[in-house]
Amino acid sequence: MKKIAVMLGLAFILVIPSILFAGGSKDKQAKKEFTLYTWSEMFPQEILDGFEKETGIRINYVNFDYDETMLTKLETAGGGDYDLVIADDYIIETAVEKGLAQKLDKSKIKNYSGINPIYQKQFYDLRDEYTVPYGAGVQTIVYDPSTVKVKISGYADLWDPSLRNSIGTIENYRVINGMALKVLGKSYNTENIADIQAAGDRLTALAPNIRLIKDDNLQDEIISGEISAAVMYTSQVTMAKIENPNLEVVFPKEGIGFGIMAGFIPSKAPNAEAAYAFLNYIMDAQRGAECFEYLGYYSTWTSSDSYISPEYKDFLTLPAGFNLDMEMIQNISPRADEEHSKIWTAFKTAAGN
Amino acid sequence: MRGAKGRGRKIYIALLLTLMYVPIVLVIVYSFNQSRLSSVWSGFTLSWYRELFRDRAIFEALRNSLVLAVISSFSAAVIGTLGAVGMARLKPPPGKIGKAMEYLSILPIMIPEIILGMVMLAFFSLLGLPLGMLTLILAHTCFCIPYIYLLVKARLAGLDKSFAEAARNLGANEWRAFRDITFPLILPAVVSGILLSFAMSFDDVIISVFVTGPHTNTLPIRIYSQMKTGVTPKTNALCTLVFAATVLLCILSTVAARIRVKTPKKEQSK
Repeated sequence: MKKIAVMLGLAFILVIPSILFAGGSKDKQAKKEFTLYTWSEMFPQEILDGFEKETGIRINYVNFDYDETMLTKLETAGGGDYDLVIADDYIIETAVEKGLAQKLDKSKIKNYSGINPIYQKQFYDLRDEYTVPYGAGVQTIVYDPSTVKVKISGYADLWDPSLRNSIGTIENYRVINGMALKVLGKSYNTENIADIQAAGDRLTALAPNIRLIKDDNLQDEIISGEISAAVMYTSQVTMAKIENPNLEVVFPKEGIGFGIMAGFIPSKAPNAEAAYAFLNYIMDAQRGAECFEYLGYYSTWTSSDSYISPEYKDFLTLPAGFNLDMEMIQNISPRADEEHSKIWTAFKTAAGN
Repeated sequence: MRGAKGRGRKIYIALLLTLMYVPIVLVIVYSFNQSRLSSVWSGFTLSWYRELFRDRAIFEALRNSLVLAVISSFSAAVIGTLGAVGMARLKPPPGKIGKAMEYLSILPIMIPEIILGMVMLAFFSLLGLPLGMLTLILAHTCFCIPYIYLLVKARLAGLDKSFAEAARNLGANEWRAFRDITFPLILPAVVSGILLSFAMSFDDVIISVFVTGPHTNTLPIRIYSQMKTGVTPKTNALCTLVFAATVLLCILSTVAARIRVKTPKKEQSK
């Protein structure tokens, strides 16, 4: 009997707070609501609170895990239910193709002209009709000048024998294979199988220099000194630089791969006006800068660049007069993708991962 | 000899407990860390807790998760218990078709979650049900039923049928016999089934993300979708609070049990 009493007691204690919690939320539909659909932690709390205060519109911030889930949900909702979606470039291409996005009325976004043209007219929205870019991942090399003897200015320098067993990379095969393609002067998105194979041979030669291949918290390894050079995600670069400002961030001279996150309004958004109001609110030059500093991705709005504080500036904005070749990583044919997987597996094996 | 053996045991247990609890301790420690990174200790702060309490969306998600877990584990308890009791009473014992039915009813824990999620999404949109708390509860109840069913079934199998029969002989009707005899006997299984289902439902991401609607974010979805921007110590702070709540519940239930035990001494005389 004793055990039963304990268990029942436990069950009741678990129930009570939830009933209390449930009671406190009846004011839900009272005000106008704006449904924002993206990953969590995309905006600083001050911005979300500020928007609600200024406009009286309540933000309903809901999340998805992967871009693909977002697409499935949006399709099920027939392009309705959600007012503003922020997702990755390649999935937006599909969403637009499926008619799930509506054309933006740019007259309603007063800061539209502030967008950096480098991030516009990209493959997912060639005529700039549907999207506003929000944050870009720009492929850079990070290294610690106190332990790296050579000067790194491009991907080719990573092959230097002095870097033996001291480089860390993320697990994104298109990005890492792409380095070798870039060294060979090819496109990230090449469909030429021979080129991809040549890149594979190049990569195998890089393997002795590789210490780690992993996705999560790679920044910790360069801060702790476990590795002295790394190719990692933009948000990781930001975290590493904040912790150790002496790290060098290099735009590889061979050309840069990048990806964009962008917002679009679904075709049957119940409250598109609120989405415009929100875009207007965050695209204010100063607030935009706050957002990008929080997000840790490159500022996609020229208007915000000048407000980004000096400690963040050199790794959240492109330098003035930036003229390196930039190329987005796009979807490729299954045949080419298969070849990419092959050379990636060979590389990982050679690197001992 | 005895001393050496005892020490060996102690070391073993210490090692095991360390392995189990060090990660949790680290999570708690780093919730007070000034740096956003989880590798560098740069000073004590409570600011992540402040951030956490300002984040209304997190608490909405937490509330949704609690409501969902409580309702679906309790509805699963009712359905699962009825099913197990009914199956046990079948006369004659289930034949081939009956066995097949039984396997069918525990299928939800064998199907990969991602498929179950997709299938449910397709089904709900076919029915035209609006996605939200209702669809979440339906889906979660569905995958919680087998846990209750299996536990109760195992408990029933070890139960002497003559208890209930004796009650019937003494003039209790079917319902009375169930209420006074069978149910108290299977209650521990029902309760542990509920707790297990609660845990399963509370941390489910894969199915939830498919069947949730535009107004019901759950806590696991929210935490999981931080992968894009990196997990902040704000999440550590939340984990710490949830952990503290769990420990508190355990202590409370132990205390409650002590109080219960002290009062009726008669029970021991049997």
